[in-house]
Amino acid sequence: MRKYISFIAPTLTFLFLLILWECLVIYNKTPLYILPAPSDIALSLLLNYNDLLSSAFVTFKITILAFILASSLAISLAILFSQSRFVELSLYPIAVIFQVTPVVAIAPLILIWVGLDNAEFAILILATLVAFFPVLANTNLGIKSVNKNLHELFSLYGASRYQRLVKLQIPFALPFILTGMKTSIGLSLIGAVVAEFVAGSGTSTGLAWRIIEAGNRLDMAKLFAALILLVILGVFLFLLMSFLEKILLKRWHDSSTF
Amino acid sequence: MLIFNNIVKNYEEPVLGPINLKIKNNSFVSIIGPSGSGKSTILRLASGLIKESSGLISYEDCVKPKMGFVFQDSTLLPWRTVIDNILLPLELTNKNISKPKDKSLMWLSRVGLDGKENSFPNELSGGQKMRVSIARAMIQGASLLLLDEPFSALDEVTRRKLEDDLLELWKVNNITVLFVTHSVTEAVYLSERVIVMSSSPGTVVEDVVIKRKVNNNFDQTEEFMSQVRYLSGILRQEGEGK
Repeated sequence: MRKYISFIAPTLTFLFLLILWECLVIYNKTPLYILPAPSDIALSLLLNYNDLLSSAFVTFKITILAFILASSLAISLAILFSQSRFVELSLYPIAVIFQVTPVVAIAPLILIWVGLDNAEFAILILATLVAFFPVLANTNLGIKSVNKNLHELFSLYGASRYQRLVKLQIPFALPFILTGMKTSIGLSLIGAVVAEFVAGSGTSTGLAWRIIEAGNRLDMAKLFAALILLVILGVFLFLLMSFLEKILLKRWHDSSTF
Repeated sequence: MLIFNNIVKNYEEPVLGPINLKIKNNSFVSIIGPSGSGKSTILRLASGLIKESSGLISYEDCVKPKMGFVFQDSTLLPWRTVIDNILLPLELTNKNISKPKDKSLMWLSRVGLDGKENSFPNELSGGQKMRVSIARAMIQGASLLLLDEPFSALDEVTRRKLEDDLLELWKVNNITVLFVTHSVTEAVYLSERVIVMSSSPGTVVEDVVIKRKVNNNFDQTEEFMSQVRYLSGILRQEGEGK
């Protein structure tokens, strides 16, 4: 029983809240355009199944692309930083500037530069910018955290820079990189949604656009249905990263618990 | 023979020297001294990890011996299995020796870890990790083994077992051992010769040849205890002097 409690407890709480929500809406006769009951949301999800799922796929595609792009760029840049202090000193402040600049503030610029016909590409750039920094900062920290004695061990055997990087620094930084990626995958999704909100309808038809559309039509049930899909997407992506972390760190790192 | 000729090491201020030492081949020499006396610096200089500020480190036959270094912590790479950790020096030096895996298994067996080749470091005890570290240091056929307080973090029982195994390793393989420790009893128990360092900047204040009439239960004899008392007295004076 104790084994299943971590699953049963939140499930029962969740079910209880859903029932409470349903009862309160029915009891108070809350209008559908203010707060739909869970049953209304479920019905909307079924009725708009095709629209919502195709939009979820668009958001998922942009999120994954942005995540891969952000992670690859950030890891490459952090490796470059580890090889040249000059490059690090030159580029790190620029990376920080991108990190602290709110995505909504630069979204119009990116949209104009990319062209309104390419809204999806603009959203991809914006989501990448949002997801980039955690991987960069964590990879940089991981590479710098290598134990001094381990560096000396490699010096003792005359390791080349390449050997030091591949056999020591990158594996040592892996738990740090994965932590950064775990944060980054959630930010990719947030970035994709926020960017789509800012970009407006354009040519993109992700879940954010469905939310705007449903909000404008006061179709709250559909809005909630789109929100639920976003939550499911976020949780799925987080679990995906946790699984990847478990596979990669499996036996050798204490953090590899699911 | 490893020769330290007027060796001085300065960082922002002097930390060591001048040091004049001759370490004979196949000898077991321990270095003791207060914290900051430059004991570890001597090992790092001998290994070439750092360069002397002045003086010269030379070898009697002008050939730098193959060296193995065992650090205070085991410095195993946690993402590599035991056998891959032992093979690391061969990979880094691109040495093509025949049957490297067999050789590493042989060393694993010599340090008493048969069957642990596929374990990861986090599955080993502190003593076992240190044994792997010693096997790694020896895989290249080191003739000079440098150990920097390798047993300081181990419990008394494990420590004594590892000390005996290290003595066995030294005798069987005809290697030279330069051993840094904080423990006077450990130094007297293990060594043929103990060098006592002064506090910073470290210089040699005493160079003692350990007398050992019996090998069995040497640490139970009055001869052992008197030498421990003598060296502890010198060390105490140095500590107070600091």
